[in-house]
Amino acid sequence: MSIASALKARDPAQLPSKRDEDWRWTDLRGLLRVLPPPAGPVDLAGLGTGPFDALATQTHILAGGREAVEIVVPAQGEATLALRVVSRGEAALSTRASVRVGRGAKLRLFESYEGDAGAYVTHVGLEIVLEEGAALERIVLAADGDDGVLVSQAQVALGARAEYGQTVVTSGARRQRLETAVDHPGADAKVRLDGAYLLAGKRHADLTTVVRHLGVDGTTSQLAKGVVRDQARAIFQGRIVVEEGADRTDARMGHHALILSDQAEVDARPELLIHADDVQCAHGNTIGRLDEEALFYMRQRGLPEAAARGLLIEAFVGEVADRMWNEAAREPIRAWLAERLAG
Amino acid sequence: MAAVKQTVEHVESLEKYKHGFVTDIDQEFAPKGLSEEIVRFISAKKDEPEWMLAWRLDAYERWLAMDEPTWAKVHFPRIDYQDAYYYAAPKAKEGPKSLDEVDPDILATYEKLGIPLREQEVLAGVQGAPRYAVDAVFDSVSVVTTFKKELAQAGVIFCSMSEAIREHPELVQKYLGSVVPVSDNYYACLNSAVFSDGSFVYVPPGVRCPMELSTYFRINAENSGQFERTLIIADKGAYVSYLEGCTAPMRDENQLHAAVVELVALDDAEIKYSTVQNWYPGDPETGKGGIYNFVTKRADCRGDRAKVSWTQVETGSAITWKYPSCVLRGNESVGEFYSIAITNGRQQADTGTKMIHLGANTRSRIISKGISAGKSSNTYRGLVSAHPKAKGARNFTQCDSLLIGKACAAHTVPYVEARNGQCVFEHEATTTKLSEDQLFYAMQRGLSEEEAVQLLVNGFVKDVLQELPMEFAVEAQKLVAISLEGSVG
Repeated sequence: MSIASALKARDPAQLPSKRDEDWRWTDLRGLLRVLPPPAGPVDLAGLGTGPFDALATQTHILAGGREAVEIVVPAQGEATLALRVVSRGEAALSTRASVRVGRGAKLRLFESYEGDAGAYVTHVGLEIVLEEGAALERIVLAADGDDGVLVSQAQVALGARAEYGQTVVTSGARRQRLETAVDHPGADAKVRLDGAYLLAGKRHADLTTVVRHLGVDGTTSQLAKGVVRDQARAIFQGRIVVEEGADRTDARMGHHALILSDQAEVDARPELLIHADDVQCAHGNTIGRLDEEALFYMRQRGLPEAAARGLLIEAFVGEVADRMWNEAAREPIRAWLAERLAG
Repeated sequence: MAAVKQTVEHVESLEKYKHGFVTDIDQEFAPKGLSEEIVRFISAKKDEPEWMLAWRLDAYERWLAMDEPTWAKVHFPRIDYQDAYYYAAPKAKEGPKSLDEVDPDILATYEKLGIPLREQEVLAGVQGAPRYAVDAVFDSVSVVTTFKKELAQAGVIFCSMSEAIREHPELVQKYLGSVVPVSDNYYACLNSAVFSDGSFVYVPPGVRCPMELSTYFRINAENSGQFERTLIIADKGAYVSYLEGCTAPMRDENQLHAAVVELVALDDAEIKYSTVQNWYPGDPETGKGGIYNFVTKRADCRGDRAKVSWTQVETGSAITWKYPSCVLRGNESVGEFYSIAITNGRQQADTGTKMIHLGANTRSRIISKGISAGKSSNTYRGLVSAHPKAKGARNFTQCDSLLIGKACAAHTVPYVEARNGQCVFEHEATTTKLSEDQLFYAMQRGLSEEEAVQLLVNGFVKDVLQELPMEFAVEAQKLVAISLEGSVG
């Protein structure tokens, strides 16, 4: 049972439900009683530009009529690419992308999920392979519509000494899940899995990650931060598995959320599953409101309350942008966040 | 005799598990297996009123319709529920029991376990020594409860569950099943149908219970399950501290212990519940035998400003599967959970707590220390949730896991659900092995490796140990050392 096959067969019974432990907070079967028809071809000329077109040298598009993309960066190569996933109208879209970064190659991949106001259901399946010594920084901007449903599932495999960095930024959707599973070989490979969410209205976002450390000497660092207001709901599920023999693993996970209204909700499950003894693993999880003392301090210095709040929230979420490797990409991400914060 | 032979065979391991002996006494069993007849048999044996039997039968009905849960990180062969005795009691004389009528073999058993059943023995102790009342549960029945008179003077009811059903039916009917509903989960439902005995405590309004209360559970019979039921009620402004200890003989077969503990704290009441669980953990090499400890423990802070504190030291059992929880219903109520869970050999533990914040300004605190050694697996699983009305809810959780050895596992699976904007939840967890630097330092000062490990482990669990009542803390500390014996080098 997978989401792709549920969409293909238009069979909601194949969707995951809250009875599946890993989907207990993002129930799709309960939400979608019927699935829309498959998406028809999208007019590419009328799409306009994507948010990252200026940064990338080449743009790939996944949309109705173009359901698969293959990206290969040859050994020792270097590339900066954009990948746009475009959802339009009440339609089901099931897409696949495969990304292979060759030995010692470097790739910066800017992914954008662009939805309109339609009640679409979109699934993105990504397979990402980093060969020995390869590096990939994946930046995902999820800008879905109020009525859209999106599930993005990435499966990442790393070679020795590979470096995988990921920053996911989202404003949620009617229901949205951004999932990343990494097979970490240890062997001095490095993984960074960050995320930021800014949710308002009745939006829902679910950041789920699984990192499996399979060998010695691996590091994983994870930071997810977010803000929810109105009746929005955010979900963070992070799982770090250290398999038997994966000694000298260093894994750190942090999730911090601010709830700015009485009806918003944040659910978190930071998991550590450790089967080796020589490890350093830690996670921290905090959920709370804005620090009243900091707010008071800023107001006392003459800042209006709204500005003080904005500044504190911006600084809170901004930490995620600061951790991105590619400095050129930080600015558009910060600008996007600031725009959502203002709204 | 098979049991004696086993004891001889295990002489070496007896050093480690000193409670592993079997008491050879005349026992009365219900026929093997589970059916409506058995439920009726147990109820009849205990001379229960009609409503209690109806309650049991209803539970049995529901249990038949339920499926065994499989979500915990524990592995064991399917339990054959028809292959166990659901009632085992020492053959007793008729009439009300005084200590002199209790089978001397049983008394000797408790003496061997170091549990004072004779009040004068306790009284004859050093001036000012702490006293505590004991309810001793031997397999399916409570054999004796001490200090009842003195407690009655203070208005405190402390007796076995069977006695409470006979003597205080209004209290039992009002509170039994009100915290853990009959069909709450598979094992609680089974317990509701076949529970045999346990302790009942009622502390009236404004009374501070004059001494520590404790129950000592002992599984003795072969092929039997123990299903005890404990109910503690602290009325408005009352205070009670309750201790629980458990041991069982060493056997090659697995035995099921499925208890239900319900605590009710009304306005301004406080209950402190401490457990030192040392059921037989099974053979460390082969993993054979040991107790399956599948227990449902829950406290309901029903009144405003009520407080419940769970402290547990879990060193025994082949499998531990329990989550002592607090439902923080009253405004400004407080829940605490302090836990040390140690697994060695092939033990498996999946334990933690649930703090369910329903009332305004409720607070909770979770300190969990897990230690895995040998080939064992130790999981912390917990839930902290704040409902929309729980404005101002606060939680602090700290889960630390210590790994000793290459083949053990430690897992941390916390669930956090915050459903309003006025709560503050903090959670931190670490998993590490014993620090080489600290070990080196301690050994360089002349300690052996084993002593050094003990010292570091004691430091690791200190936060929880200091929450235990004095006499338990000393025992628990020794237990920690014994549990980890042979886990280094």
